[in-house]
Amino acid sequence: MSELTHTSAQKRFIGGQLLGSSQLVLGAILAVLCIAISIAAPQFYSEANIIAILRQCALVLIVASGMTMLIITAEVDLSVGASLAFVGCIGMAVLNSTHSLALGMLAALAFAGGVGLFNGLVVTRLRVNSLIATIGTMMMLQGGVYLFTREAVQNHNQLVSFTDLGAGYVGAVPVPVIIAALIFVVAYVTLRFTTLGRYLYAVGANEKAVRLSGLRSERLKLLAFIVTGLCVGVAGMILSSLMNAGQPTAGRGFELTVIAAVILGGTSLLGGRGSLFGTLLGVLVLKVIDNGIIILGWNQDLQMVVPGIVIILATYLDIIRNKANVR
Amino acid sequence: MSVDFLHPGEGAAIDTNASALEMRGIGKRFPGVVALDNVDFTLEPGKIHALMGENGAGKSTLIKIMAGVYGKDAGTVRMRGREVDIKSPRDSLKEGIKVVFQEIALISEFTVAENIFLEGYPTGRTGSIDWKKIRADSAALFNRIGFNVDPAARTGSLPVSQQQMVEIARALAHEARVVVMDEPTSSLTPNEVSLLFTVIRRLAALGIAVVYVSHKLDEVFEIADTVTVLRDGRHISTKPIGEHTNDTLIQDMIGRRIDNLFPRQRGAAGSKVALSVENLSTAKKLVDVSFEARAGEVLGFFGLMGAGRTELAKAIVGYDPIISGTVTVDGQRLAPHDTRTGVRLGIGLLTEDRKSEGLMGELPVYQNASLASLGAFARLGFVDKAKEHQAVQDYVDRFRIKTPSLFQQIKNLSGGNQQKVLISRWLMRGLKVIVVDEPTRGIDVGAKSEIFALIDRLAGEGLAVVMMTSEMPELLGLADRIAVMCEGRLTAIMPREEATQEKILNAAIG
Repeated sequence: MSELTHTSAQKRFIGGQLLGSSQLVLGAILAVLCIAISIAAPQFYSEANIIAILRQCALVLIVASGMTMLIITAEVDLSVGASLAFVGCIGMAVLNSTHSLALGMLAALAFAGGVGLFNGLVVTRLRVNSLIATIGTMMMLQGGVYLFTREAVQNHNQLVSFTDLGAGYVGAVPVPVIIAALIFVVAYVTLRFTTLGRYLYAVGANEKAVRLSGLRSERLKLLAFIVTGLCVGVAGMILSSLMNAGQPTAGRGFELTVIAAVILGGTSLLGGRGSLFGTLLGVLVLKVIDNGIIILGWNQDLQMVVPGIVIILATYLDIIRNKANVR
Repeated sequence: MSVDFLHPGEGAAIDTNASALEMRGIGKRFPGVVALDNVDFTLEPGKIHALMGENGAGKSTLIKIMAGVYGKDAGTVRMRGREVDIKSPRDSLKEGIKVVFQEIALISEFTVAENIFLEGYPTGRTGSIDWKKIRADSAALFNRIGFNVDPAARTGSLPVSQQQMVEIARALAHEARVVVMDEPTSSLTPNEVSLLFTVIRRLAALGIAVVYVSHKLDEVFEIADTVTVLRDGRHISTKPIGEHTNDTLIQDMIGRRIDNLFPRQRGAAGSKVALSVENLSTAKKLVDVSFEARAGEVLGFFGLMGAGRTELAKAIVGYDPIISGTVTVDGQRLAPHDTRTGVRLGIGLLTEDRKSEGLMGELPVYQNASLASLGAFARLGFVDKAKEHQAVQDYVDRFRIKTPSLFQQIKNLSGGNQQKVLISRWLMRGLKVIVVDEPTRGIDVGAKSEIFALIDRLAGEGLAVVMMTSEMPELLGLADRIAVMCEGRLTAIMPREEATQEKILNAAIG
């Protein structure tokens, strides 16, 4: 093989990872959306609005970062919404009794990580399909949170550091956006550049081959579940800070938004294929639509309808594009 | 449907002298392979006709054409003198051909009676299904074959032997003129086999032409009236069974001498034991298997379908659990019994099922190649891609792997090139023992010899190669020593010089 074809192919592949697969379609959709909305409502491009969009993206992106890793290994976690609410309540309760943000945060992470560990063990040890296993966990958490507290856990401390977690700013940038960006970058680097990332793709692409190669595929999946759980822990604390309370009713449908963003970003539910960059685009598209509907003054029920249409459309365009690529 | 199945064939205008089925000049090609080339096959009513040949000889392609699973590329098919065009399994059944495949195709959640009348339930006056009639008719059918199965039993709960009977009853329900039994005894006990033979003889007595597909010589001598042998997709012989001896039949099945297709480059094997397996047993298949493999040798394992070669391969690399025995790689025991330990000690499996156990189809060539050795290209958990790509590129060049680039998805490569990538995966890791299971399955004839040359080279570089194969030429061409398996046991182990095809087949039949 000549050096020339080698390098050009390499370029194509790297370009392909950044902008290939569904990302190109998705980037175009995002651009069209932004242009269309700002023509109809110029205030879309105001600094305040952009920051508002980013803030809304933050929670979804945090959990979607873990979820992307998990779906790449060909598993899924539907319990993240229910876990999000529960984590907020627990974090707030610990905060109230200990007056320590660190301990509250730790409790939230321990609980959410534990939920991830539980899901992971059920899937890898008991070999229960992850869709079913995590629906089970979701129901347990949704019911369980009411055993823990019948109503919202109010914030009795008003610790400044806790309030800042959701509502604070560093310069002009909201704290949740910074946390989301950090988590995103770590996850991105892990998936792109580390052996762990490569193994996660490999497990999703062919678990048996990974096992035959002397790697412990179950542990890799378990790890992805735990990471997803930890992301939920962070997001849950931010959410309870924003709401100034732990709300047992929070997070309903959150799992669907997260999974929709990941799938929209081109990550295959069959595993082995996907990228965090796509997930970022997916989150942005969903949240820009949300925002657009609000500032255009449309009926807010469309906030569910339009993303539904977009998901089907984007996936369909992806199929078309894939077909065109096959010579 | 109101089939008068108790008196099949009455009233149809037929040529009673014609053959039940006459296939002429049948041809079938698959990409890169001629599966059948100008094959003739004729069945007489009331006779049991054995169809024999090695794996890959074309037996299953021929019966799949009869069954309408494959279309034929050339030739004609006549049923009782009338040319028929079988385009689908439905057509085949309509023409009166019933194939009972090795993998039985019944709906396991349905009752026996429901399965028998699956294609058309008899209905009562109101249009509802007449369950009473279905049960009664099923019982009558079982009566005719002289074997009783409860029509109300859930099919999945029955042993394979009884499911076969359900299939045969289905054949009668469809007034089949031709019944094909595809390797019917592979999972039966001796007792069940003799019951099956009684039923098959009864089918013949009813005037049905029976095709008996098998590679078990003793069974064929016991039951068949006529034998047709295929080899490499060609018709070799059709003779009354009385004109055959064990030797002539094996001769027909194996044919030419084959040694020269395998140019041997490597020297003699060393004496160092690289792999030692002692008294290995598994829950599913293996019984007390012991052998040693030496550095630099190719130890070939032969066995018929179901002999336990793949099970052995997966057990000795730590992939499948064992219930007793030990595996020792290069002096160190494989414990705990898992692939992680196996790979660390230096034993790896080149799987027979590339697609489901080997390839990561969506991922690029380079990631497929480096999977087992990624740690060697990493520092602090970060992959040094330049180093990794260079190492993969070396193997691509050395093995002349034809791929447009390292970044091509591996699913787009040909079978031979995929196999070379998977061999590279192990060589990049560095092994002492490589277990190759059916290394040329699904690989074009041209690429086969390249894979053979690679295996020869592996042994030449000092690896112990344990090769599982069902292909006699591969075995005789490559192996230094030959081990033979039958039903999970090792039945013979001999140096290549002492091995003859007859000796091997005899040990394989057990």
